[in-house]
Amino acid sequence: MAKPLLTLDGGTTCSSWNYCGERLAAGSVDGTLSIFDFRDPASSSYLRSTFKSKIHEGNIVKVVWLPPEYGDAVACIFADGIMSLWEEVAKDSQPFQWNMCKSFGSSSMKVLDVQFGISLTILKMVTAYSDGYVRVYELLDPLELKSWQLQAEFQNVIDSVSTSGKASCLSASVSWNMQKGGSQESSFIVGYNSNTSELNSSKVWEFDQAHQRWLPVAEMVLPEDKGDQVYAVAWAPNIGRPNETIAVATSKGLAIWNLGLNPDHDGRLPVERIALLPGHEGEVWQMEWDTSGMTLATVGHDGMVRLWQSNLNGAWHQQAAFKPTS
Amino acid sequence: MAGGEGALVPVPSENGGSVAVYPLHHGLNPPIARLAISWSRGNSLRVSVFRPPSEDQVGGKVVEVKLSNGDQEITDAQWRRIEYGSVSPFAMLQSRRSSFSSLLKVSKSPSPYHLDWWEYVIEYSKDISSLLGGRKLSPNPIIEEPKAIFKKGEEPTCLKAAWELMEIFYADKQSQAWLPERLVDWLADYDSLFSSTQRTIHSKLVDFQKDLVNIQVIEDDPRYWEVLSSALAVGWLDIVVKVLRLHGSYQLDQLSNREIENGLVEAVAVLISKMPRLRPESAVGKLGECFKSKPEFSKAWEKWRAQITKLDCSAFWIQCDNHQTREGLKGMLQIMLGNIDSIHMATCHWIELYVSHFLYIRPFTMGIESMYNLVLKCIQMKPVSNTHRLTGLLIAILEENTEVVLAECSKEYGPWMVAHAVELLSAGSEQAEILLYDERDNLGGISIGELYRLIYAQVLSSHSLTWQIAPIYLTSCMKQGMGLLEILLYRQSVRHNESLLKNIELCRLYGLNHISSNIMKVAGVYDWKHGRKGSGVYWLQQADDANRLHRIAQQLFDSVGKSISDESFKQWEGVIELLGSDSKSAGGLEFLHKYRDFKRFLQQVTSGKSTEAARQAVDSLILLMKNPSTPQRFWLPLLYDSLKLFNWQDCPLLNVSETNLLLNKLQELSLARLRPDFKESSLPPEALGCVRLALATNLGRAILDE
Repeated sequence: MAKPLLTLDGGTTCSSWNYCGERLAAGSVDGTLSIFDFRDPASSSYLRSTFKSKIHEGNIVKVVWLPPEYGDAVACIFADGIMSLWEEVAKDSQPFQWNMCKSFGSSSMKVLDVQFGISLTILKMVTAYSDGYVRVYELLDPLELKSWQLQAEFQNVIDSVSTSGKASCLSASVSWNMQKGGSQESSFIVGYNSNTSELNSSKVWEFDQAHQRWLPVAEMVLPEDKGDQVYAVAWAPNIGRPNETIAVATSKGLAIWNLGLNPDHDGRLPVERIALLPGHEGEVWQMEWDTSGMTLATVGHDGMVRLWQSNLNGAWHQQAAFKPTS
Repeated sequence: MAGGEGALVPVPSENGGSVAVYPLHHGLNPPIARLAISWSRGNSLRVSVFRPPSEDQVGGKVVEVKLSNGDQEITDAQWRRIEYGSVSPFAMLQSRRSSFSSLLKVSKSPSPYHLDWWEYVIEYSKDISSLLGGRKLSPNPIIEEPKAIFKKGEEPTCLKAAWELMEIFYADKQSQAWLPERLVDWLADYDSLFSSTQRTIHSKLVDFQKDLVNIQVIEDDPRYWEVLSSALAVGWLDIVVKVLRLHGSYQLDQLSNREIENGLVEAVAVLISKMPRLRPESAVGKLGECFKSKPEFSKAWEKWRAQITKLDCSAFWIQCDNHQTREGLKGMLQIMLGNIDSIHMATCHWIELYVSHFLYIRPFTMGIESMYNLVLKCIQMKPVSNTHRLTGLLIAILEENTEVVLAECSKEYGPWMVAHAVELLSAGSEQAEILLYDERDNLGGISIGELYRLIYAQVLSSHSLTWQIAPIYLTSCMKQGMGLLEILLYRQSVRHNESLLKNIELCRLYGLNHISSNIMKVAGVYDWKHGRKGSGVYWLQQADDANRLHRIAQQLFDSVGKSISDESFKQWEGVIELLGSDSKSAGGLEFLHKYRDFKRFLQQVTSGKSTEAARQAVDSLILLMKNPSTPQRFWLPLLYDSLKLFNWQDCPLLNVSETNLLLNKLQELSLARLRPDFKESSLPPEALGCVRLALATNLGRAILDE
């Protein structure tokens, strides 16, 4: 049964839990950022507010926590396209406070999504912008969240010929292949919801050490679905499977893809769509894999929480659904 | 979740596409604008529910859904007791398995495995079974309370009943020869569980016992004989004999005029207590005569049946004038003679009918297949509208379909049951072992056995009181257990020292050094950023994080040459002290140490004005300036810091050669300033001039002194 944890203030629009599920960051329509902490970690009984402040004029649409190796920090994406990084610090013996470290984006170049990954012990921030460009930033000083450097910018297209016309993107979704420790070169997937069909399909990007650039190594789309808008992507944690599993939500439904790890002669990774599930009768808002990568939870337009699993024969199906009721 | 915890475990049978929809109560007024989800520990999912923005209403709720709430009949606290209790039998069995397989490799003969393995499994099974409940509700008569049919014991649970069923069929190889008798005992222990869905012999007996005190002449009550027949039909001999002896003819004042009647009652009681059973021995004090071997049993059975037939045809019945007694006893004889109509009448549930078949109709039933056919027949004779969770399992076992057994276990009893029952199942047969331990591509290269352990470990991880036992199950998963364990440990909070230390200890125990170094890194950064610099440096050192330590050292350099308060000097000094213990990890630390000494003396000079301290300060300044590891950019700040020393009132503190050394350094610095890559320090522009003048003055005084 559902156990209530917290009541949110009026106007709250988004929320995000940190890596250990002990802190919740919530953003609201008037640009207020709130942080809630469990008082007693053992009992996980109830949450108390430890910070609340208006940090921006305008709606916060998304909050993303940074990896804990870089402190307790969040990226807040605002409706006007600005994204800013906020960090909790305490100077000497003073009480802690949340400070802004850096901001990105503008009204003409809106930040649509941001995700953080650790690659070769360097923190990388992948931002998907409304101009159809993906920008990858690197943190120069691991203790200083102000010092970012643009490492690469590219469009989410397979051919290097850039798309004609001005792209107009409604939303984008980025998901890292999270490797624990981040000692290896990492990769991520990004998909767009835009008016430019080449941009939309979700593609896996990998950093090519030899040529110092990001390369698309796989495209998660069937030939007949090329232009489909992508609502959300989610890379499943891999605890030992020989293949990677990635969920991609489009207008056609919810697809589960297998990504092989051995590239062919072009350097492309083999992909296979192993399931197409009905999804949410419309837009999928969010997809989250559990820690084992065996269960996918999704929410979307129909207002339901749905859980998806594979059975013993490898067939994916909806395992259960939750209907929010008062 | 309302559907029992099995609902979220992959099961091989598809339920025709229909999906269970559960309500998620959040207590908000509609409409709902948006939802957000996040997995918490293990199997718990947190859902944020947002209302559209409005002034006067609450904005939303955050709720947590545990996707495996456990068996409804067992409380959370009991579940935790079971979860903790099953750790050691499980771990013991795993360690025995590994020593067994290494033994196999050495001896290359498969015999020891097959000879003895089940003995370990049965020991494991008994250990687990004892966790699932104490004393059973046993139909033993109690002497002190002559009218009590049942002992009051702990309520039996379906979980324990299911476990014992698995034990009987898969683990207990010794009793394979008398499986039917084991089922008779099993039903005696658990018949009450079937009362939840329909009338059973147990519920009949309980009802009768309630009324017993109010009945005057017991043998005149038709229910008395009904209860006797029913209990006899399922072989509860002790109860039958005890209840028979409540017969009115036993009362002392009646003996004389009801001799014949009493004789008949006692004759039946004796026959019942002498009933031959094909089993090694019954529990202490139980009635019936046990025979281990089939020929012996068969002989005794023929003899017993002959005695019953003889009694049935006896002339004494005509002399018995109590109609009720006569008919009642005759009915019991019919049951003992295996009259299917009588038995059908006397039993309620098909499983009772099934058991009485073993006792009176087919006492020589052997083999699972014939037992399965018999089940089908009994279900046909006494159809039920809904399947009980125990009969579902029993049928699956008799069907010999391991996959269905697993699915039943998982659906009805949840992840704990499957993860632990896999050991019993795999001991059952070679096919089952292959099915359970063969690696499958569909499952990402793991076996079904491993999958169920992973699922159970996820359940354990969901709760703060049980996550620490999850590693024991994860480490027994060869392929993916460690991967999940790494994530589990990485995702624990570092904010509380006690849990942090525990976490690191767990990493050490399982050889996960890279995870513990990550955890320490997270702890170090958290402390560093939250004003606990010393602890931050400590954890970063433990994590061998050269990169961050180097950055910290750089931050310390930044304060060289700046005037700092006493308090921050102390902190700064402390951090250098900490960094010092591992000088490899941060460059230029040698300089920082010397600089710290210099700065300390200088502070003493400021506070005390003692010439002795001033001399020490000069000594360490000279050491610093002579040392090649002192970065050039710090030369001027150092000298500027020392102005007071050069202008010392009492006497010149530097001799001629020392002053010359410093002047040379100053000269070198002036030349370096001409290079394009020179970085100007943040000192006032006149600093260089001041230092030069002070040194010149000092030189003059030193020459005069010498």
